[in-house]
Amino acid sequence: MQFSNFQEFIEMGGYAFNVWSVYGMFLIFLTINLYGPLRKNRQIIRDLKRRYALNAQVPPMPARAGSQSSPGLETTVEERA
Amino acid sequence: MDWTWFHKWGSPKWFYELSGKWLPWLVGAMVTCLLIGVTWALLFVPQDYQQGLTNRIFYVHVPVASISLAFFPLMAMAGTIFLVWRMKLADVVVKVAAPLGAWFTALALASGSIWGVDTWGTWWVWDGRLTSLLLQFFLLLGVVSLRTALEDSEGAARACALLSIVGCINVVVIKYSVDWWNTLHQPSTNFTLATDQANGPEIWVPLIFMIVAVYLFFAISLILSTRNEILQREKRAQWVRDLVAKS
Amino acid sequence: MKAHRRKRLSVILFVAAGLSVAVGLTLYALSQNIDLFYTPTQVAQGEVNAGQRIRIGGMVREGSVQSAADSLAVRFVATDYANDVPIYHEGILPDLFREGQGIVVEGSLDNAGVFQASRVLAKHDENYMSPEVKAALDAVGTAPEGAATRPGT
Repeated sequence: MQFSNFQEFIEMGGYAFNVWSVYGMFLIFLTINLYGPLRKNRQIIRDLKRRYALNAQVPPMPARAGSQSSPGLETTVEERA
Repeated sequence: MDWTWFHKWGSPKWFYELSGKWLPWLVGAMVTCLLIGVTWALLFVPQDYQQGLTNRIFYVHVPVASISLAFFPLMAMAGTIFLVWRMKLADVVVKVAAPLGAWFTALALASGSIWGVDTWGTWWVWDGRLTSLLLQFFLLLGVVSLRTALEDSEGAARACALLSIVGCINVVVIKYSVDWWNTLHQPSTNFTLATDQANGPEIWVPLIFMIVAVYLFFAISLILSTRNEILQREKRAQWVRDLVAKS
Repeated sequence: MKAHRRKRLSVILFVAAGLSVAVGLTLYALSQNIDLFYTPTQVAQGEVNAGQRIRIGGMVREGSVQSAADSLAVRFVATDYANDVPIYHEGILPDLFREGQGIVVEGSLDNAGVFQASRVLAKHDENYMSPEVKAALDAVGTAPEGAATRPGT
């Protein structure tokens, strides 16, 4: 242990500003790049849920040849959204 | 040669499911390494004979700066795979890596500046190392804005892949700038196993923990953003509908 | 790998190789200008004119630092152990400034051959160690490789 008490630890041998601002930025950086994508994931799923529900209300058009999953309505909904 | 393993990687659904299983383990390993690394670096690393306790900044600056050099090679690799095999997932990686790389590069520049303010006596100097790293920051912003400007088209994907390949040259410049030219930035450290020499284990063991933690963090945030991009691009696929319905 | 893919891959590799050569040549041509500082030997060889704004990098010669008692003025000698440049500076010095330390000074030579520095920056080498290790190394007289043998790096 390099410090005998908490006060010394905070002071960082006179480099408190430098050391703590770098570790603070590091923490903010970690939070933004971890929490950001996680929140976006929930938001995307929420949006898609709403979109699929909206699509289900509109009577489906005949599926296009070659597309397996698309009921062919997304374009109209996307234009509306 | 059997290429099925390679084409499997091209399947967004396969990637999404597999990465979902990996993520908890990656996060667990990262948090463990980070806690050990930060505690060790802040509390137990001996102060430097010249720099005193500013050497704590070393343990953030070095891992972040070293991985910021990995972005262009990674994007170039993914870009090449996209250009040659037209694998959509590879383009997703190029797209999400660029802003993340800009974050890492910015943090490397900022932590280096704050380290330099008192040790060098200046927060910025236009030497080979600092200038080339700043150039990388702008190149990454360039890739991001190219994508936005061309509105996610096929052309944007190709242009970004090409710019990523070209940007690799700058990585070589950053890496060797300290050897090729007179710079204010010091050259890379050669670490040693000897305990009674400079750069011994008391210096580098905590650094290893920080490097592993930051590399894992890089992987985690890259995977998270890739998954988000996959969901948006594959919103018409049945497996995304099933996944949304379940959640 | 299919033929059209092999062709695409070779085109990419060709473009990348061409660009690397172009950038390499450009950097080689520029390499003199990318250097951050001149060495005292370059100054002694007359590569620098008086009044020209430049940077000089070297080590602070042991025993050469003279600080004024009543001001921030300081005189010292920058050396690469082959040639010396006398330096005069008024202002704040970085924390790492000390005798034997690598430094970079910014300013210009006056007609008397004294370098009037407007800014003094400290370089530090790539060696990190605790004061205990440093003291032990000094006791046996083995400075880490590169610390003193490569002035200006």
